[in-house]
Amino acid sequence: MEVNRRDFLKVLGIGGAATLTSCSAQPPEKLIPYLIPVEEIIPGKATWYATVCRECPAGCGMLVRTLEGRAVKVEGNPDHPVNRGRLCARGQASLQGLYNPDRIRQPLLKDASGSFKSVSWEEAEAWLAGRLAELRQRGKGSGIAWLTPHTTGTLDQLIDRWLQALGSKRRLRYEPFAYEPIKSANRLAFGLEAIPTYDLESSEVIIAFGSDFLETWISPVMYAREFAAMRTYEHGRMGRLIFIGPRLSLTAANADQWVSVPPGTEGVVALGMVRVIVTEGLSKAVPKGKVDSIKSVVNRYTPQFVSKATGVEPEQLERLARRFAQANPGLALGGGTAVSGQEATSTLVAVNLLNYVTGNVGETVLFGPLSTLSRLSTYREMVALIAAMQRGQVSSLFFSEVNPAFTLPKAAGFEQALEKVPLVVSCSSFMDETTAKANLVLPTHTPLESWGDHEPWEGMHGLMQPAMQPVFQTRSLGDLLLSLAKRLGDAPAAVFKEENFYEFLRARWRELHQRVRPDVEFEAFWVEALRRGGEFKELPARRVRLNVGALPQALKGLELPGQAGSLILLPYPSINHFDGRGANKSWLQELPDPMTQLTWDSWLEVHPEDAKRLAIGEGDLVVVKSSHGEIKLPAHLYPGLKRGVVAVPIGQGHTAYGRYADPHHPNALDTRVKERGANPLTLLAPEPDSRSGGLLWLSARVTLTKTGTKYLLASVSGSDRQHNRGIAQVIPLEEITRGGQEAGHPTKKDHPVRQMYPPHEHPIYRWGMVIDLNSCIGCSACVVACYAENNVPVVGKEEVARGREASWIRIERFAEGPPDRPETRFLPMLCQHCDAAPCEPVCPVYATVHNSEGLNIQVYNRCVGTRYCSNNCPYMVRRFNWFTYEWPEPLHLQLNPDVTVREKGVMEKCTFCLQRITDGKARAKEEGRPVRDGEIVPACAQACPTRAIVFGDLKDPESEVSRLSRSPRRYRIFEQLNTQPAITYLKKIVPGPKEI
Amino acid sequence: MAGYRLTYANVNRDILRTMEPPGKLWYILLAISIAFVALGGFAFATQVRYGMGVWGLTHPVMWAIDITNFVFWIGIAHSGTLISAILFLFRVRWRAPIYRTAEAVTVFALFTAALFPIIHLGRPWYFYWLLPYQQVGGLWINFRSPLVWDVFAVLTYMMVSIIFFFTGLVPDLAVVRDQAKGWRRRLYAFLAQGWQGTDRQWRHYTAAYLFLAALATPLVVSVHSVVSWDFAVSILPGWHSTIFAPYFVAGAIHSGLAMVIALLIPIRRIFRLDPYVTQTHLENLAKLIILTGLIVGYSYAVEFFIAWYSANTFEQGAFLYRVVGDYAWGSWIMIIFNAVVPLLFFVKKIRTSTPWLLGISLLINVGMWFERFIIIVTSLAHAYDPYTWGLYKPTWVDLSITAGSFAWFGMWFLLFAKFLPIVSIVEVKEQLPPPTKAEMTAGAPE
Repeated sequence: MEVNRRDFLKVLGIGGAATLTSCSAQPPEKLIPYLIPVEEIIPGKATWYATVCRECPAGCGMLVRTLEGRAVKVEGNPDHPVNRGRLCARGQASLQGLYNPDRIRQPLLKDASGSFKSVSWEEAEAWLAGRLAELRQRGKGSGIAWLTPHTTGTLDQLIDRWLQALGSKRRLRYEPFAYEPIKSANRLAFGLEAIPTYDLESSEVIIAFGSDFLETWISPVMYAREFAAMRTYEHGRMGRLIFIGPRLSLTAANADQWVSVPPGTEGVVALGMVRVIVTEGLSKAVPKGKVDSIKSVVNRYTPQFVSKATGVEPEQLERLARRFAQANPGLALGGGTAVSGQEATSTLVAVNLLNYVTGNVGETVLFGPLSTLSRLSTYREMVALIAAMQRGQVSSLFFSEVNPAFTLPKAAGFEQALEKVPLVVSCSSFMDETTAKANLVLPTHTPLESWGDHEPWEGMHGLMQPAMQPVFQTRSLGDLLLSLAKRLGDAPAAVFKEENFYEFLRARWRELHQRVRPDVEFEAFWVEALRRGGEFKELPARRVRLNVGALPQALKGLELPGQAGSLILLPYPSINHFDGRGANKSWLQELPDPMTQLTWDSWLEVHPEDAKRLAIGEGDLVVVKSSHGEIKLPAHLYPGLKRGVVAVPIGQGHTAYGRYADPHHPNALDTRVKERGANPLTLLAPEPDSRSGGLLWLSARVTLTKTGTKYLLASVSGSDRQHNRGIAQVIPLEEITRGGQEAGHPTKKDHPVRQMYPPHEHPIYRWGMVIDLNSCIGCSACVVACYAENNVPVVGKEEVARGREASWIRIERFAEGPPDRPETRFLPMLCQHCDAAPCEPVCPVYATVHNSEGLNIQVYNRCVGTRYCSNNCPYMVRRFNWFTYEWPEPLHLQLNPDVTVREKGVMEKCTFCLQRITDGKARAKEEGRPVRDGEIVPACAQACPTRAIVFGDLKDPESEVSRLSRSPRRYRIFEQLNTQPAITYLKKIVPGPKEI
Repeated sequence: MAGYRLTYANVNRDILRTMEPPGKLWYILLAISIAFVALGGFAFATQVRYGMGVWGLTHPVMWAIDITNFVFWIGIAHSGTLISAILFLFRVRWRAPIYRTAEAVTVFALFTAALFPIIHLGRPWYFYWLLPYQQVGGLWINFRSPLVWDVFAVLTYMMVSIIFFFTGLVPDLAVVRDQAKGWRRRLYAFLAQGWQGTDRQWRHYTAAYLFLAALATPLVVSVHSVVSWDFAVSILPGWHSTIFAPYFVAGAIHSGLAMVIALLIPIRRIFRLDPYVTQTHLENLAKLIILTGLIVGYSYAVEFFIAWYSANTFEQGAFLYRVVGDYAWGSWIMIIFNAVVPLLFFVKKIRTSTPWLLGISLLINVGMWFERFIIIVTSLAHAYDPYTWGLYKPTWVDLSITAGSFAWFGMWFLLFAKFLPIVSIVEVKEQLPPPTKAEMTAGAPE
């Protein structure tokens, strides 16, 4: 990576401009790049901008760290109520959207031959305005349709008004995961077609019916944080999670118990629990009359009946029901692709009923504030749009940042219908399968370059501001629409007074200001909102009443037994790629899926017993065929499945989404890899669910045929089992409540340590870390945060398959227990910064040494690459630069200037974010004080949604890290080797045999 | 050739005949060697250009056949010093005709071995940073690192071996000089360093030779001990073992003896040296191999016993993996070829049969190569943390450099066979009765 003087100056110029935006609050386009450095900008000193993450609909608050005018790192905004400073892997990777080498750099117009040619913005706008004017003249203005993802707030209003001005109402907010069954179940049960907010934190017992809330469901970072909080061990108690569903997802793996049931029978379990609760008189806050009528509704769901339908033992069901009823409060969650068959609505009504009889509605299930996801269009509305397109009723289709050609079932016929639309305009940052079919592509800013706002739930207004000047000649969607309106003649132009989107946004926020804070000056309100990342207002909860009369009707369809014989396909949103939008980011491709440990791919999960029956082995390339299509996928034997179910992650199999998503791309990272991933949506039925209008994710029954070819699956895990090596340890709850040091494993502290060399002296600080395995959920946010912070290279699939992935921190996943009832343990592993580090004495050139603050330092300049240090590291956390890895332009702009980019032949590893330590110490020194506890936070600890990683000074006995490292749950890995690691792990607390 | 009587004249003639202009076969062999050296060089150039990643090395197996080759060639280098120095000190008479070849093997094996510590570096262009000199900023090398000990041990051994080899050659070079003409005469005159065969020179020569033999003897033990500490000093199960030093020394001698036999047999045939290198000599080497083979076999047994006896999960895991894991075939090659096959030498018929000797000694060399491979690769592949377990598969670079190293050794040996007397003229003569006048006049029988 080279930065020449010219680039540097350019970047510096942009920097000034971007910094100015924060104080003068002007749209970046209007700024004059400065020539003389502004006093406020100190090269090397970071400026932070608060904005909102738009990588998924959750809308977490984000702080963007910019250096010399370019965004280099994103972190969670601690003031933001959704994520409270945490961020997931996908949020961390938003930078790779901003700097994606395959971003569309200028407007593209499709010519007669069907290929795109670059045009100027002026040409593009004039062309489009001409076409729109023509349409309106021919009276086809009402046929203009707009397709956006989950959009709220100002941009949402702007699009609606723009569309109105042109005389159309065809507006869809399209998300592939639109939670339709939740809405329909709430309408049936409570008369409110909406998605509530959930309070996981106060819950004592959570039962999740298929909802992968730690990965992809609604708001994973928020739920992960709340989940970790409810799991915290306090006063001899801690929260419990039970997961009911056909697949051992990451959420299920974090449950104290995974109850594996055939897909579609979750509702039967819920009703069985309701029956136990109401017949045993355990219900809470339910009027007597209602109890009786509920009793009559659920009467047939005896434990024996449930056991027959689902395989859950009657005693287990009763135990679960009692435990849940005792919880004060409990929370039952339901949803996700695992609960999306024809019985989905009934299942979720059953979950509602379970929440109702245990008094959770209004306690942990809150109808107010409502999630804005309630406003999403249903899949049925998409199908209607496709039909309209087919009929030629859509004169023009505009879309932005959605990819229905990829995320809709192939059989829905979106692509064919698109050909019937005379004018297709894509306002997207990236080329993708849908944009490739557009007539005109207008490249928009990524969220990190845009003004805007986002409202995840009512009253929660996140404010977005550009963190830097646009990387390419792109425009914000708002500005683009306003400028088009101006060109379209007087009537549309008159609708909008504002010059640009920034003004438009301010006008909307003026209204908000009048509503919520009329007492302060608007400018003060605005600047405060920019600084905090938005305006967050608590809204009171609405009361809802259970509609008992509707229950028998609402619960119909649950009795249907699952079809035997054929395999049920369960497509699930990938934690890395969500609906596929993460697939163009190399960090997310290289990040191992936490459950399967596979990278750069999608695969077919088959239960080992089913695989044996079908004579399918690991890595066999298999044709998966349904009545709607077929795809080829490598088989991965996965014991965490109900037999008869096969699962496929959604998100791979792109054909036009840039070099990292599409193996056929001319600039693909690994030219040796010919095929990679497949899209399971090819297999799904196009018909929407008749009750909820949602997509029937569980609709496909598939057959598998071996192709006879072996496929290379790039797994990072050497072994799924610990082989009794005590790496990821657990402690039963009873043992810990019995208390005392004895409870834990004997620690080395009791033995005097004898060494030939004098002990290291740590005169001021001794940095250390505590990792709480009870909090770690394995989500891998830390891994991507580390990639971003430390310029860790991406190596590609072939290299990962060889074991050459470069991540400094990894989440080890181990399975314990019998294969059908696995107990999953996650363990973040990084350099242990041993006090007696085995890597140090073996280096012939002192390239790795111990420093006075207890860090094990790697001196890149000095390293000659004998690799002995790695061989001698029992934790195998050292990474070698097999090649000089490259960052294709402009991804190199993301590189952290505080961290060296390493060249071929040198060893590297976790530094405990040395640059942050240095920065923290410098700040403390400037202010003439010692470093405060918690002031220095490495990237991994900062990102962790569950705060499992705590960093600090071990010399200070009062620091949090010291306090935690005295926990009775403490242990250090391979303590018997006397490496004296600076990282203390806290054992995961597992339920004792008597619990649950 | 039975009944062939050795005389001073015969010795001179027979041995100098080996240095006559080479035949076609020699040129072909040399061309093949150079071609493979060039292939290895190209592979190394690729490595320098693109990085270590062109090797099959990976995480966690960061050393594999690079270090295997290093240890293998260091091991080969052991026989020479053993035969020339130790047997010399013990006044073993049968050493005389074979020690030159053994020493040449030592020197060339060291030439080969010394390449690998440089080749295997991630940044080989900085190899000199491992040398003890005052570097920029006062940097110094880390004396706690076994790799630094390696540098000292190998360089010392190489220097002493070369000097010892050369010293032994001086009187012979004078013989060659006396027979040579033209540029060869000038060359050998320079190499012979003015040797006249005077009493004074002989006195100094024998003293120096004895002294060098005494100096070289402890190196036989020390070099491979130090090399073994590359592994034993680490904390890796399968490496971290106190038995390593004697085990490696015995193994080194084992492979070195086998290599000498494997080279002597064709030399003896090609250059018709049967009267000099007799069956007895080879048999004696075979007997030594029985001893080293038993030591090696014992070491294997002890390793497995200790792993079991230690009750240490990691040790047991490492050794179980060796015999049943992904590389189990290699372990069985190692155990059978090194510890079982040499026992056949207990049978006199076998140890006196040339084909058996050649076959077994080649098998031992294969086995010893695999011994190093198994120790290095299996221990790394299944180290402490099961999550990091991984496999090593060589690429064309690994294999080309390995082939290149064998060719490199062969190239030197071919040059040696034509440019230097492969049997010591002086020492063979020492063991003959001095020529009498009668013989001189009668002439030697042909």
